[in-house]
Amino acid sequence: MLRFLGRRVLYMFVAFLCISLVTYVLMKAAPGSFLSMNFQEGGVSQVAGSYNVSPIVMQSLVSYYHLDDPWYVQWFYYVKGFLTWHMGTSFEYPGMKTTHIIDTAFPFSFRLALMAVVTALIVAIPVGVITAVKENGWADVSIMFIAMVGTALPSYVVAVLLIVVFALWLHWLPVIGYTQWQDYVLPVLSLAIPMIGSMSRYLRNSLLDQLHSEYVTGVLAKGGGMRHVVGSHALRNSLLPLVTVVGPQLAGLMMGTVFIEEIFNLPGLGHFFTSAANLRDYPLIMDSTLLYAGVILIMNLLVDLTYGVLDPRIRRSFDMG
Amino acid sequence: MTEKKRTMTTILWGRLRRNKAAVVGGCFVLFLILCAILAPVIAPYSYTQSNFLATYQGPSWQHWFGTDELGRDMLSRLLYSLQTASLIGFGAEAVELTLGLFLGAIAGYAGGLTDTILMRIVDIVYGFPSLLFSIIMVVLLGHSLFAILIAVSATSWVGMARIVRSQVITVKQSDYIQAARGMGATGWQIIRRYVIPNSLGPIVVAVTFGIPANMMVESALSLIGLGVEAPTPSWGALISNGDQAMFSFPYLLIFPAFTFALTLLSFTFLGDGLRNVFDSKSTQ
Repeated sequence: MLRFLGRRVLYMFVAFLCISLVTYVLMKAAPGSFLSMNFQEGGVSQVAGSYNVSPIVMQSLVSYYHLDDPWYVQWFYYVKGFLTWHMGTSFEYPGMKTTHIIDTAFPFSFRLALMAVVTALIVAIPVGVITAVKENGWADVSIMFIAMVGTALPSYVVAVLLIVVFALWLHWLPVIGYTQWQDYVLPVLSLAIPMIGSMSRYLRNSLLDQLHSEYVTGVLAKGGGMRHVVGSHALRNSLLPLVTVVGPQLAGLMMGTVFIEEIFNLPGLGHFFTSAANLRDYPLIMDSTLLYAGVILIMNLLVDLTYGVLDPRIRRSFDMG
Repeated sequence: MTEKKRTMTTILWGRLRRNKAAVVGGCFVLFLILCAILAPVIAPYSYTQSNFLATYQGPSWQHWFGTDELGRDMLSRLLYSLQTASLIGFGAEAVELTLGLFLGAIAGYAGGLTDTILMRIVDIVYGFPSLLFSIIMVVLLGHSLFAILIAVSATSWVGMARIVRSQVITVKQSDYIQAARGMGATGWQIIRRYVIPNSLGPIVVAVTFGIPANMMVESALSLIGLGVEAPTPSWGALISNGDQAMFSFPYLLIFPAFTFALTLLSFTFLGDGLRNVFDSKSTQ
């Protein structure tokens, strides 16, 4: 188990370094970036003259941002800054640290994503069980049709369809604001519905595999009821693979919050990220990118670990390999 | 030999025809492609032509889907946004297919160290938050159609590479290839009669699902203001524009959202149907 854990953490670390290298290179390559000025002609004093700043101030800025060091040292400070939560200041909001913006906005997005996952699980598990037990019945066929529609649409289209029905036609729910609980119903639902679609489809299929297997026939032959079969045997075995689909779903969900926050005007990190991308606020873009990437990687790691803990076969295949 | 090939196609076609949703989806996809190609011919107005005497007009005989805040005809703008989405959707899929076929086939055939290195790269790109990556690419490359094409296909080729590799490996190891080789079939015969028919299914299905996925990325980018440049319409931009005035002029939100949803759904139903067709286990 320890070896499995070590391998996964190492793998995650390598992936994180790769992503940070990509964002770093892209940030350096960005046109007009302040950080690329040591490549300009004439060096520091020339640039200081053109910006009308005293060379001493410029020199201190250069050494503060490690601009006189080779690129890999700069990259090292960039990653270190992220890991110790001491990143630069935003272009768009002068004097404001990007970490401060992220600190206030990220928990909001994370809460939104978490509520969506919980909602999706609460709905998808019973739906998956019902459709599998009533295989090919009218309930199964119609629910699976709806689930396919839900899977096919991205969360922002689902959001618009929900707005049209519940806000424009029925006037039941608000679409602007974030103070009362009603404000969260539509955003959470629009994030949850695509997840519900794919999760319930997946659960139905893996549960069907279990229900068609010989041990279930054995339990039924010994006089066990359907409730007993699903409750104490089949559901357990089919919830396990569900963990693997939840992982990529969570990554998609983190990105989904960006668009949902845009549509519902919610003050999450996605909102800041979008405006930063539009205004070319490079520090904020890159720091939030790293954060999103880090969150997604950690989620994937947790999913893999859960899977490893739950299924001894996975662990063993890692230990051998 | 042509006789045999025809029967296989007929079998597949017969299976597809039985799935009503797939047939409807497929017809609608054809209709959409026609609309996208013929957009300059069938669009009743120019998509940039503003008319300040006819702003915010509801649906009418002159303007089927109404007009926007500059008096531009929504139907024309929707047709051109379909064109944009199709260009990106099909174009990025072509890039993905080329990269995926090339790298996947190399990894599958060569095996060993080449395979390991290529698949590690694929693993790392697969772990990338792809939409984030597209956003960064657009921020850096700009808003041209070509930049968005690259941004969309930059990370999505890995899925195709994985599928192609696993297909190549499965087919390579199967007994009937050994048998054909033992009976003296040439390499070209093996590829044409066994490898292509047996590995085509999953790739066709992946392409059918890939196109709407690319369209989704394209419109997601333009939804947050990072899509194609302003006068060229895109579904995402139309949706975010309609979102701002939805209580006063709901049709500006409803038409883009519903047509986009319909487009995505028709591709999905077609893809789902194709998956059942090629999955010989599910239907005989």
